[in-house]
Formats: sequence, structure tokens, C-alpha cells
Amino acid sequence: MSSRAEAATLGRSWRLWAFVPLVLLTATVALFTAAGGSVTSLLGESPPPLDEFDIRRVEFHPGEIRIRVTNPQRDDLTIASVTVDDAIVPFDVHGPTTLGRLRSSEIVVQYDWVPDEPISVGVTSSSGIETTKEVAAAVRTPEASAKSFFGYALIGTLVGIVPVALGLLWLPSLRRAAPEWLAAFMALTAGLLSFLAVEALSEALELQAALPSALGGAGLVLLGVSLSFLFLTAVSRRLGEGGGGGSSAGGLALATLVAIGIGLHNLGEGLAIGSSFALGELALGTFFIVGFMIHNVTEGLGIASPLAEGRAVRWQRLAVLALVAGGPAILGAWLGGFVTSDLLGVVFFAAAAGAAFEVVVEVGRYVARRAPGGLASPHVLGGFLAGIVVMYVTGLLVA
Amino acid sequence: MAKFTRKQMLAGAAPIVAAAPFARLSLPGHGDSHLSATHEGHEHARLGHAAMIRDHVPATGGPHDLDKLLYPPKALPHKPGRVREYELVAVDKTIEVAPGVQFNAWTYNGTVPGPVIRATEDDLLRVKFHNGGSHPHTIHFHGIHPSKMDGVFEVVPPGDSFTYEFPARPAGMHLYHCHATPLKKHIHKGLYGAFIIDPAKPRPPAQELVMVMNGYDTDGDGENNFYTVNGRSFYYARYPIEVKRGQTVRIYLANLTEFDLINSLHLHGEFFRYYPTGTGDQFEYTDTVVQAQGQRGIIEIDFSNPGDFMFHAHQSEFAELGWMGFFHVTD
Repeated sequence: MSSRAEAATLGRSWRLWAFVPLVLLTATVALFTAAGGSVTSLLGESPPPLDEFDIRRVEFHPGEIRIRVTNPQRDDLTIASVTVDDAIVPFDVHGPTTLGRLRSSEIVVQYDWVPDEPISVGVTSSSGIETTKEVAAAVRTPEASAKSFFGYALIGTLVGIVPVALGLLWLPSLRRAAPEWLAAFMALTAGLLSFLAVEALSEALELQAALPSALGGAGLVLLGVSLSFLFLTAVSRRLGEGGGGGSSAGGLALATLVAIGIGLHNLGEGLAIGSSFALGELALGTFFIVGFMIHNVTEGLGIASPLAEGRAVRWQRLAVLALVAGGPAILGAWLGGFVTSDLLGVVFFAAAAGAAFEVVVEVGRYVARRAPGGLASPHVLGGFLAGIVVMYVTGLLVA
Repeated sequence: MAKFTRKQMLAGAAPIVAAAPFARLSLPGHGDSHLSATHEGHEHARLGHAAMIRDHVPATGGPHDLDKLLYPPKALPHKPGRVREYELVAVDKTIEVAPGVQFNAWTYNGTVPGPVIRATEDDLLRVKFHNGGSHPHTIHFHGIHPSKMDGVFEVVPPGDSFTYEFPARPAGMHLYHCHATPLKKHIHKGLYGAFIIDPAKPRPPAQELVMVMNGYDTDGDGENNFYTVNGRSFYYARYPIEVKRGQTVRIYLANLTEFDLINSLHLHGEFFRYYPTGTGDQFEYTDTVVQAQGQRGIIEIDFSNPGDFMFHAHQSEFAELGWMGFFHVTD
């Protein structure tokens, strides 16, 4: 009895003790602030603020250029002068002219820009610092209309849903395959997901590096990766319980996981395509779309492999899986086309990487359990490597 | 964020885009009178630079802010040995070069360019210089004078003073500037001004103006972000210079632009006589003059027509970064 009471007291007191460092920290911060920075003055003067804007987005509308700027620094930043192609232009500001930390405004310039030619915009702060942004080619930004809405949806469908659905049609063939070959295809799924994970991770890291330091940071990427990884782990546990497959998922559950992982990746991919197109950085040629279709058809194969064993799956289920994996490309294209933000890109790609890694783990467990000869069998190793090679080679089509 | 150099930008589409607005402005009937410009205000605003006259111009300050720099002191008759005294104080000052754009300048008497110094040939020029700035400065005058009055050896530390004294010669349009090192820094920060020496035989009467062409590198990348005459970008587009038809307009023009090799002045709708350095009678009849840094001369215009006549650097880039203005010619 007494030991339990003791434990209870201890249980309460550790919470109390946990506050001690926090209280002391608060006191220290208060003291330091009260000292008015006299400690830092021992070291000399702080440098002046950089006073550079973060030019988020440059849109081209008929007779008009819109420039979205954000203040990435602690000190206020004032929009004083705007140039287009190195010429001062009159401008209006939608939003505050003096921006607090991380606040944004839109600068509107009446300008007769020349389509398809390179153009640069510059925003000068009140301290005279000019931030310039080069646009490779001025292309009219798609307006948010029913037509462009449909257009982005079509692109998303073409690069997302269609190839995944086509890839799923390998299912009847897979069902007739020998177990070692089935293991090889599962490994191939793991291989291509690994490839997607690494690709998404590198994309996320690259995007975050371009963000203002107040927003970016590799930590943001880690957060995105961890969140999606843990989320999918939880999902896989639930699905596994439902399917009675123990601690790890198999069959339809695993296929669903693969579809979610691929879906998150396609969300990022759609975002990248949509925003690049909206910002005139990308020509959406036939070759590009075809390249993406070939690249993504393997994703369908990845979802089909876990379904090859066990009960037959109804076509409606397959359609849902194709939607889960391919549909997000549409959502991504909309987001990228209409609201584009590099920050969103970082989060999406990080989430895609985390999801893909998680699914690789799931697939690995599955293969380890089911494959004749286990993980080290030649079919599994070969399949895994083949998955990576296939993604690499088809990836060249869209490079 | 990648920063691109001005040269890279220019390599792009700039020339075509830059030319368009000016072509529009030179069309007859546009902005011929004050009234039409005001009435068509909204229309103009849509056309970008074509609208850049009077109220639509992003220029800082009020209508008479730069009068002291634009209108030189009166010329005095020739009187050898007369003492002409000026006082110049170097002060660090933050100036507004374009609306809302502050530049940490080094100035003579608080303005960039500094005050106009004027003397008649054979006057004894006495310039009392006090350095109230945070760096050593000098005044180096162009002209003929002893080496110890040249503003090169007698560097004046902060808080110190020095008096420059020498006979004013030769007659012409000259300039003065700080010659402390690093020279580029001391000049582009704003330590320069116009220095007029009138000839013994007075020049014919005219409406006299001073224009010092300059630039400001506000972000310290070794390239100018703004170009002006007399210190504020687009100032004379916002406040056109009032002149009379039938009265000669005489402009004392100097180029003190740092970083760029040359600057120029081009006048619309009229020709003028250009006297290089203002030292002789020979002139070129033209509508465009080019000056290297430190070059200067005298322009004489007899306007044939009333109306608004643009003048600007014929380097389109400079013009669109602030070096553009108008004469408003009336009968």
C-alpha cells in the first residue's frame, strides 16, 4: 500500500519537478531581455538586416504583372520601388506596403509584357536593396476558370489515374505467375517505391533550401517524413488487424498502403507539374505527358503485385485503388496551378517520402514472410534492383 | 534567391521592352498641354511609362525642392581680384532618392549633388571646407590652380577644416568632387557638384539651369539602381522645368555618374548648341550629347515650339531608372 502511495506521490512530483527548468528559463530570458541586449553589445554591433524580399510568385495577366512578395526577415520590410526588366514602373500594392515578419502582399503592375520572352522583376526596399527574380519566359498565367480547372484535372488524370489503372491490368497475369516470380514483382514494387522515396526526399530538401530561412530547414522535411511514416504505420496496423494478418499487412491491405504511398507521391508530382506550368517554367508537351504515363504505369504494377495472392478482388476495388494512387495528381495540379507555394511543395514531398519509406518497410516484411527463399533470394534481389532501374530509366523520359 | 546582374538582365528582353514606351511618348498630341495630361490621367496610367509625366510620376519631394541646384547663382561682371567666398560642409545624410528609397549619402551641405559654385574669371575663389562627416574628405576642383589647392594631398580628417583659395580660371563649365580614397566610394556616395566659371566677356542673357547627371547604387553591388539629374529620380518628369519660348535656355551639364562609363542627354523635338567644357565658341548643333564621367559642357536651346518636351539619357536603361524629365515651354 505504502509503496503504491509513494509511487503516486512520485508520479505527481516528477511533473512538478519538470517545471523547474522551464521556470528558470523564463526567469533567465526575462533577465536577459531586461538587460536590453547589453551582453551582445560586448561583441560589437549587429549587422543591418538583409532587407531582401522573398518573391514567391510572378503572374502574367493581360496587360498586368502580379508579384507576390513575402518578408522573410525579423525586421519590417517596406516596398518602395518596383522594376520590370530594369525599368522603374508605377505599381499598386494589394496588402500592406510595409510587411511584418512573414507577411505577404501582392504588387500589381500595369505592363505590356512580351509573351515567351525572358523578363525580370525587381522589388526595392526602402533601404535601397533590390531583390530581383528572373522569369525564363513570360507566359500568361492560367486564370482560375472552369476551363483551366478542367485542364489541370485532365493533366492530373493523364499522368496519375490512367497509368496507374493501366498498370493494375497486370493483375490477371500476376495471378498466374509462379510464387518466386510473384516475390520478384513484390520486390520490384519495393524497389520503385524506394526510388520514389529518395526522389521525393531530394525534391523536398531542394525546395526547402530555396525557402527563406525563417520557414525552411531540413527539420521541416524530417517532420513531414516522420508524420506520414508514422501515420501510415498506424494505418497499416489497423488494416492488418482487420485482415487478420497479424502485425503486418498483406494482400488488399498492403495494396491499399502502396496506393496511399503512391498517391501522396503523385500529389507532390501534380503540384510540381501544375506550378511549373502556371509559372511558365514548363512546357507541357506531348512527350512530357507520355513520359509521365510510362513512368507511372509501373506504379500500377506495384499496387497489383500484393493482390496477386489470395481472394479475387472486384474491379470496383481496383478502381478505388487507382483513384487513391492516381487521383491526388489532380488535386496537386490544382493546388500547384492556382495557389502554388514552395512551402506546400516541401510538405507534400516530405510526406510522400515518409509514406513511400513506410510502404517499403511493409512490402519488405511481406516479402520476407511469403517469398520462397526469403529476402535474399535471387528473384527478390533482382526484382528490387529492377524496380529502381525501371524508375530511373523511365524517369529519363521526363527529365 | 539568386541575384542576377544588370548585364544578364539586359541580355534578355530589355531593349525591346524599353523602347516601346518612349516610342509612344514621342507621338504628337500626347501630353501637349497640362490639361490633356490631367484629363487622360487614368488612360495614361495603363500605358506604363507613357504616362510618366506630372502626377503619375513616382518622384519624391515637392515642386521647388531642387531649385537651389537647378538655378545657379547670378553671374557677376568681370572684376579681377574680387573675392568669391563659399562655405562647404561635408555631412553624412540619409537622402530620399526615389519615393520611399533611402540612400545613406555623404554630401556637401546636405544635398547630392552639392551646391553650385560660381565665380567669374580672375575672381579669387575662397572655399572654406569643414569636414562634419565620419570619414576623411577633400574638395578637388577641376581648373587651373596650385598643386597644394588640388584636394589630393591635404586630406581633411573628420572635424577638421581647410580653406581652398585660388584664382578662378579658365572660364567654362567645371566640377568639383571629393578626392579621398577609395575614390569610387567617395564619389558615388554623393560628394560632387557643379563649378561654373564665367568668362570675362559675359555670355548672352539666358534662362540658366544646372544639371548634374548621377546615379545611386543603393544595394552596394557596384551597379546603379537609380539615375537622376540633380539627385532625385524622375523629379523633372513630375515637376517639368518651366521655360519660355523665345528665351535661350542655357544648361550647364556635367556627368558625375559612377560605375557606368558614360551618360548622355537627349532632347525631344528640338536641337541645341553644345559647347564642350564651355571653354570656347565652337559648338555642335545636335539633340544628343554623350559625356564620360567628369566630362561637362554647356547647352543652349532656343525652343521653336511650346509644349512638353522630354529630355532623358539616351541609354534607355538610365532613362527608365529615373533619368528622365520634361521642359514645359510656354509663350
